[in-house]
Amino acid sequence: MSVSEAAPGTARQAWRSPGVRLGALVVLVAAVACADLFAGRGVAAGGVRAVLLGGGDPMAQHIVLQLRLPRLLVALVAGASLGVAGLVLQSALRNPLAGPEVTGVTPGAVLGAVAATGLGLAGWDSPAAVVVAACLGGFAGAGLLWLLAGREKGDPEQTAVYGVLVSAVLAGLTAVVLLVAPGELGSVVQWLIGSTEGRVWEHWHLLWPWAAVWGAAAWLLAAPLTLLRCGDEQASAAGLDAGRGRAAALVCAVALTAGAVSAVGALGFVGLLVPHLALAVFGADLRITLPGAALLGAVVVCGADAAAQLLSRLLVVALDADRLTLPVGALTTFVGAGLLLVVARRRADER
Amino acid sequence: MRRLRVVPVALTVVAVVSAVCALSLGTPYVPPARLPATLGSDGLAGIVVTELRLPRMVLALVAGACLGAAGLVLQEALRNPLAVPEMLGVSSGAALGVAAPLVLALSVPLGLQPFLALAGAALGGLLTLVAAGFGRSPSSVLLTGAAVAAALQAGLLVLMVMADQLDLQLIYRYLLGSLSARTWDDVTGLLPWLAVAVPALVLCVPVLGVLRLGDDDARALGVRVERARVAALGIAVVLIAPVVAVCGPVAWVGFLAPHLARRLKPDGGAAGWLVRSALCGAVVVLCADQPARLALAPVETPVGAWTALVGVPVGVVLLKRGRRAARGRDRGPASAGPASDASLPVPGQAGGPVRGAESIPLLRKAER
Repeated sequence: MSVSEAAPGTARQAWRSPGVRLGALVVLVAAVACADLFAGRGVAAGGVRAVLLGGGDPMAQHIVLQLRLPRLLVALVAGASLGVAGLVLQSALRNPLAGPEVTGVTPGAVLGAVAATGLGLAGWDSPAAVVVAACLGGFAGAGLLWLLAGREKGDPEQTAVYGVLVSAVLAGLTAVVLLVAPGELGSVVQWLIGSTEGRVWEHWHLLWPWAAVWGAAAWLLAAPLTLLRCGDEQASAAGLDAGRGRAAALVCAVALTAGAVSAVGALGFVGLLVPHLALAVFGADLRITLPGAALLGAVVVCGADAAAQLLSRLLVVALDADRLTLPVGALTTFVGAGLLLVVARRRADER
Repeated sequence: MRRLRVVPVALTVVAVVSAVCALSLGTPYVPPARLPATLGSDGLAGIVVTELRLPRMVLALVAGACLGAAGLVLQEALRNPLAVPEMLGVSSGAALGVAAPLVLALSVPLGLQPFLALAGAALGGLLTLVAAGFGRSPSSVLLTGAAVAAALQAGLLVLMVMADQLDLQLIYRYLLGSLSARTWDDVTGLLPWLAVAVPALVLCVPVLGVLRLGDDDARALGVRVERARVAALGIAVVLIAPVVAVCGPVAWVGFLAPHLARRLKPDGGAAGWLVRSALCGAVVVLCADQPARLALAPVETPVGAWTALVGVPVGVVLLKRGRRAARGRDRGPASAGPASDASLPVPGQAGGPVRGAESIPLLRKAER
């Protein structure tokens, strides 16, 4: 992108500069974050504004500062993690369908976390152990898929199909664990679908360093990953150890997914579809696209959270029920499934 | 040859042992030798066996047979070894149909429940077929099915989030597929549905045989392929929905049973596979119900968890063996052409039934 193109030209030319696109996305993140802060129940928009300007009554202050703000931040970081993890996975495996949900990583992480909490090895009082368990589970899920399909170098859709099967086995195991320890069921169900309900500062303090470390690691791997996307031969010709680079990338992806899952649960389709969006907007240079995917993931999850809160408010009014909340995962899954239908259809048409 | 005979014998032995286990193990324990005397007697053991264990066993057999047959019909009609109820949104649709009124506290008469399941299953299946297009590549149908199933599953989870803690356990257990506390009433409730489904199955067998030849050949023989697929889906839905209404979506039986059946008789036609698939399904569910009853006694685990844990890996192994056999015969998808499902063939399916059956190594050995 040369300077002469970007500097004096029209708005259209300026839009071609990745910096401008990233900037626009940052603005979008801010807008969605504001929407999320204002969308919830309990405090009206005026009250939120007063708190943000430093005033407000104690009740509103508590709700906004202790409940909505950490929830917002967790949603942002978890969405960013999932977006980056999905892009890294898809690039490393050279498979546009290799989102964390369909490679066994997310179901494995859920299984690990559920097993650790359900069997009493970890709990909400020791959240670090949950992250470790989710990580182990994520690696186990990815390993299982690799055992089944990885060595065959089959076509992407076939790998995705095997991934669905692996996810089914892992979900069955999760079910067994939940039946052995049924006490956890109520709190875990929200987690199976993905929810930002009730996330507090504790979750945030645990999530952000993890996401920052692994996100930075993923960004350091951006250049080799861009090469890997072109194929193993090209990567080797450029002096890259393809196997080692791929392994490092996979570790990053699993760690990012596990962190997000242990914070907000299995948010459906974010890791699968955000990378496609990011590639469409930013192109194939991952040094730009990885931060782009992070921002886009944050926008998607945060926007879905705002929409979910608004919808639950509307549902409460419409159905006259007072404890109805729509988990954000439901929204991302519904929308994501629709988008996946479009993607699958388009791929079929291209044949 | 020897191997081909060993498998059915082993299957029969497993079935008999499971049946005896189903009737005699548990509390109170009834020794197998005393079972005939206990059946129908008035004592506690007699009532437990005749009123609790026997209907449960029958239900397991019937449910397994229905799911196995439905799985085979779907796989054959869509010419896709992975086209199972779980991956087409059929099972999740049916489960949604049953669970929704339960959570929303709408009172539904018991007789109406299968219709709700039916509506849900048909919705899920049709959604997948319509979204994927009827004659498209098998893997795109599967991806679409996975997306539809995920959306329906998300709907279920939303319902669960809304449910009471007490309802939650019940729903969760149901969603995994459970045979606990089912009585003769549940078994007899299945009969009218079977009366509809079995004749339909018999009628659809010849069409399935023609569909296996490939879309073009089937058209040349005068079969309307799209309509036949929808009809096959309809039959599968009629088989699955009542089972799901009674015992929940017992997972992946429709995946495992047809593969077992093909393995039992690789050169069989649709009719032979259909019968074997139903039998295999029955045996699989009956077997899986024993650990479900006994493994963590006195807590019962849902049978669906066991069928998922065992069924998926075993089915994948069978599938991979089938593909390896097919690959030895016919290298690469390019030579087989896009219409013949070469990406995911099963024994005797890819590349036409006759040629396929000849070239399976196991079978060649048998013919020699």
